Amino acid sequence: MQPTSELGSSALRARTFGSMGTVVSLTVPAGAVPETAAGADGGLDDAAAAVELVFARMDEAFSLYRPDSEASRLARGELSLREASAGMRDRYADALNWRLTTEGAFSPERPDGVLDLSGIIKGYAIAQAGESLRSRGITEWCLNAGGDVLVMGSPVPGSAMSWTAGVVDPQDRSALLSAFELGGGPGGWETSTRRALATSGSAERGDHIWTAGTGGAEFIQVSVAAADIVTADVLATAIVAGGAAMLDRATDHWDIDVLAVRRNGQLLATPGFRA
Amino acid sequence: MRTRAAVSAALASAGILIAGWQSGIHVADIGSTVASAAGSTGSTGPSGTSGSTGSSGTTGSTGSSGTSGSTGSSGSSSAGGATGASAKAVATYDGSVVQTRFGSVQVQITVQAGKITDVTALRLTDAERKSEQISNRAAPLLRTEVLNAQSADVQTISGATVTSAAYLNSLQAALDAANL
Amino acid sequence: MNAQLLSTRPEVRRGSCGAAANPFEGQHRRRLLKADLLTVLFWASLAGAVALWLADGGAAGFSTPAGAFTALGIVAGLAGMDLVLLMLLLAARIPLIDRTVGHDRALEFHRKLGKPALYLLLAHGILIAIGYGMAEGLDPVSESAALWVLVPDMWLAYISMLLFIAVVVTSLVAVRRRFPHEFWYAVHLLTYAAVLTALPHQFSVGGLFAEGTWQRWYWLALCIATGAALLYYRVVQPLAATFRHQLTVKRVVQVSPGVVSIEMSGLRLDLLAGSGGRFFIWRFLAPGLWWHPHPFSLSAEPVQFDAAGQGVLRITVRNLGRGSAQLASLRPGTKVAVEGPYGLFSSAARSRRHVVMVGAGIGITPIRALLESTPFHPGNATVILRGHSESELYLGEEILELCRQRGATLFHLTGSRPAGVRTWLPENSARAGHRLASFDPKIAEADVYVCGPAAWAQNVLEDARAAGVREDQLHYERFDW
Repeated sequence: MQPTSELGSSALRARTFGSMGTVVSLTVPAGAVPETAAGADGGLDDAAAAVELVFARMDEAFSLYRPDSEASRLARGELSLREASAGMRDRYADALNWRLTTEGAFSPERPDGVLDLSGIIKGYAIAQAGESLRSRGITEWCLNAGGDVLVMGSPVPGSAMSWTAGVVDPQDRSALLSAFELGGGPGGWETSTRRALATSGSAERGDHIWTAGTGGAEFIQVSVAAADIVTADVLATAIVAGGAAMLDRATDHWDIDVLAVRRNGQLLATPGFRA
Repeated sequence: MRTRAAVSAALASAGILIAGWQSGIHVADIGSTVASAAGSTGSTGPSGTSGSTGSSGTTGSTGSSGTSGSTGSSGSSSAGGATGASAKAVATYDGSVVQTRFGSVQVQITVQAGKITDVTALRLTDAERKSEQISNRAAPLLRTEVLNAQSADVQTISGATVTSAAYLNSLQAALDAANL
Repeated sequence: MNAQLLSTRPEVRRGSCGAAANPFEGQHRRRLLKADLLTVLFWASLAGAVALWLADGGAAGFSTPAGAFTALGIVAGLAGMDLVLLMLLLAARIPLIDRTVGHDRALEFHRKLGKPALYLLLAHGILIAIGYGMAEGLDPVSESAALWVLVPDMWLAYISMLLFIAVVVTSLVAVRRRFPHEFWYAVHLLTYAAVLTALPHQFSVGGLFAEGTWQRWYWLALCIATGAALLYYRVVQPLAATFRHQLTVKRVVQVSPGVVSIEMSGLRLDLLAGSGGRFFIWRFLAPGLWWHPHPFSLSAEPVQFDAAGQGVLRITVRNLGRGSAQLASLRPGTKVAVEGPYGLFSSAARSRRHVVMVGAGIGITPIRALLESTPFHPGNATVILRGHSESELYLGEEILELCRQRGATLFHLTGSRPAGVRTWLPENSARAGHRLASFDPKIAEADVYVCGPAAWAQNVLEDARAAGVREDQLHYERFDW
């Protein structure tokens, strides 16, 4: 065994924490974060804490699972949108905008009418966490929140190497279906239009189940690569919900790459996903 | 006459089953403007076009199989130093040993007051097993057009949102564990 | 007593034309071909159910343990539902099936499929619960509960499962004996409820049958065709027959103690020519009787025009159960609803020139009708009647007269059967070492019609097989249900 690549995992450091019902992972190249008095990884620990804080704040405001959150109070009618925080109203406006542009495939409301912004909040949290890392001067990182990925820079500082994200095989979650180069392109990360990758699934109960009427039966998993994580996340969700029609609309109107898995395991992919 | 019935029934049934099976393998591509890639995973039929290597130029310098070979070994050494956090563990959960492209990995998470406070790698693979895993696993996946040798080398995993519980046995957990 | 009453002289006069040609060969060949075809269709439909799933790429599911459980569950469900549909078709009294294998054989097969179908459906539920449970990290019980609560139409499927279990359990013979037939029949009607409640989840939850797939159309067509066959042959046809023939009771004649012949007059009875010996399901539309269906064979060929210019049908009935007892007091003029004719106890089953008819007790009556109509040359038929005493050889006089007219050999076998010996013969005959072949040496090359109590008939059939009679020459009508 000889590590032939400069990309060996010894070159990477990761921190994880739980938030929004899933696990968030921050991965950076070793040495990309300055050392602190706490030790070689002290800077990474601080950075992870900052990311965790962003997620925690978002979750506090938008989680429907926390009875005291602003979203829960809105859902119960204790608070009207007019009285809601600016952040809440902005996200709501964004979500409505997404509903318009996806022709309803993405919706900020649950079937029972309750406002549910969780479909875009995770994306915003990832994006904000990324900004927070950037503002700390950390420019080489990969953030993964429950399978939605945003990257900056390169796993090998100073190189043109891009981050590679594997896409899980929905029929065998211990295997990869494909991979995608994030933050790559002729000009590197700075000019890349594929910095984020999000995957949505419909196979909550195994691939046998098909829910009538939603059209969501068509794909059990959809991965979307885009310049920003919110677009990737929302469109992946929308394509799962809207099926092939939404897939075509998405690839027509947005600069994205898509890898969609049909119920029978068959793949649909834009050229960016081809080997 | 019984024999005639038995033979014809067997032939007809076999024919129907084979026809079904064949059309199951070659599920026709149904119109979508998106380019479609090769057929369902796991089945062993004639595959689609073989993946052309080196398409993504940026990773051209990356070695193919040896790269992930170093994933586990260094990960375990750094894991010891990283888990010194003063976690008053209320509960820890061990994941099952997951066979991944990166070898076998077992993850432990510590949950305090309903929050994950710690993630540790209980078991990381040795290099031999890892390379074996890669060669075992590569065949059916490499067959598909979307994969090539470089894809064995990923730094993160995208998948449908996993719950905290499902994370335990996920590929991302295995990756994180290697880098903790 | 053991007596040969009539013997015809060997027919010398048409030795040239009759000996070689078998007029039933073509009919027999076609019937066997149809039987084989039905066998092929049966297996093909099962294979088709599995192929639906294969064509959907289902085999790929075996790549994971959870997927394997789910896949097996899906296959079990498809095969189980297919068997249920086949069972319904077997019970639908479809003429093709009835004229090929006979109503009783079809029902026998129907009963045999009951348990496999139930096991497959149970396996379907359990395997799916395990498979989905594994995929989600839930135990099968929690997964079942989750499916019930979360997935639309699944609660109906659970109810369907309970109904199927109830139907099969009550149908098992042991249980059936303990309940009155009416109760068993009512539970059996639940089958329709079970099938109907099973349908929604197949089309709304089953990914295989998603809208726009050809599998959906195939399955829909199968279900609709089955429903249509049931509706047509079990509801429309009987109603049509009842209105067409306008049967009314003409008179009730005592044949011997406890046995009556019921004569009914009606219209268009020419359509029923050749159905002597076949059975109909009768409902006598009199107070307290109309709801009770009676399966009885015709004991004579339908008469198209009697002296009064009326068509006449006749059945001969022994006072068996509560329902049959009331039949003796039927009033002339009572309207009769009728379904039929059913069964293969007719010339349609003939395969050989030679014919042997064996009847016991009330089972003699369809023999009487068959003897009247089935074609044979004088000397090519043997009739054996079996009863405890001469008075139990119902319609004996008529049969004697028919044998005389048509040139059939007739035997009367009376007396108790010997204790502890499995034989269909009376004691003196059994002791004398008689076999079926003793009564007709050409039996190996004859059609053998047997009608009588089940245990007795089994002994006759065994004797016939021992004499070299092949299965396709044996025609047996069960008479005890």
